[in-house]
Amino acid sequence: MEEFHPHNDEMIFNADEAHNIVKECIESVLGKADYNQNKVNQWTAAIVEQSLTHLVKLGKTYKYIVTCAVMQRSGAGLHTASSCFWDTTTDGTCTVRWENRTMNCIVNVFAVAILL
Amino acid sequence: MGELGPDEGAENTYSLRPGLQHRFKSSTVKECIRAILKEKLANVQYIPEEMPELTKSLSETIKDRLKEEGFDRYKMVVQVVIGEQRGEGVNMAARCFWDADTDSCAHHVFMNDSLFCVVAAFGCFYY
Repeated sequence: MEEFHPHNDEMIFNADEAHNIVKECIESVLGKADYNQNKVNQWTAAIVEQSLTHLVKLGKTYKYIVTCAVMQRSGAGLHTASSCFWDTTTDGTCTVRWENRTMNCIVNVFAVAILL
Repeated sequence: MGELGPDEGAENTYSLRPGLQHRFKSSTVKECIRAILKEKLANVQYIPEEMPELTKSLSETIKDRLKEEGFDRYKMVVQVVIGEQRGEGVNMAARCFWDADTDSCAHHVFMNDSLFCVVAAFGCFYY
């Protein structure tokens, strides 16, 4: 069983760590690929699943929500906003934007703390 | 020693699980979201300058509405995505690591001629 960190008083969500993890996952899945309508389903699923697995391996007592949107680059605009009702001292979020020649990718990670 | 009430000793009143009525029900939440989007986005055109404000206010509105619904002890996350309708391909996915018994999510997609809007709401029980 992986390491389990019990709750300590200074539990804060580490956004940088999450940012790096997610960035690596996106690179490994999308890398140098071009937008392909047939594969985009598999890509988004792979990105979220891999990110989630890596975040869980950190062993912190958090519930995670990971969302990913992949869009073709056609000049159209996209806006995202999120609103959260939680404990701001322990919970946190992280957003990673990535793009290449043919597509844009936005991944959001929301981490909700569990107090034991 | 103080007097004890009719029941001998205290009963446990701290619940570790939400009751059936208090669950974060997907159907109820989806209905809320659908009603709000229908009301707020009915005749709205995609105007790049106004979109940031609109997305933010929409997510705040939906979050406040869900708070009023009375999901006690639930932490909530509402995500709103608005994009221009130009026929381009968009794909969105989400995965969650939580307690499937108590936590849940709901989503709804609204489209009109000039824009599309996706709202996803997640609720996590706070033990």
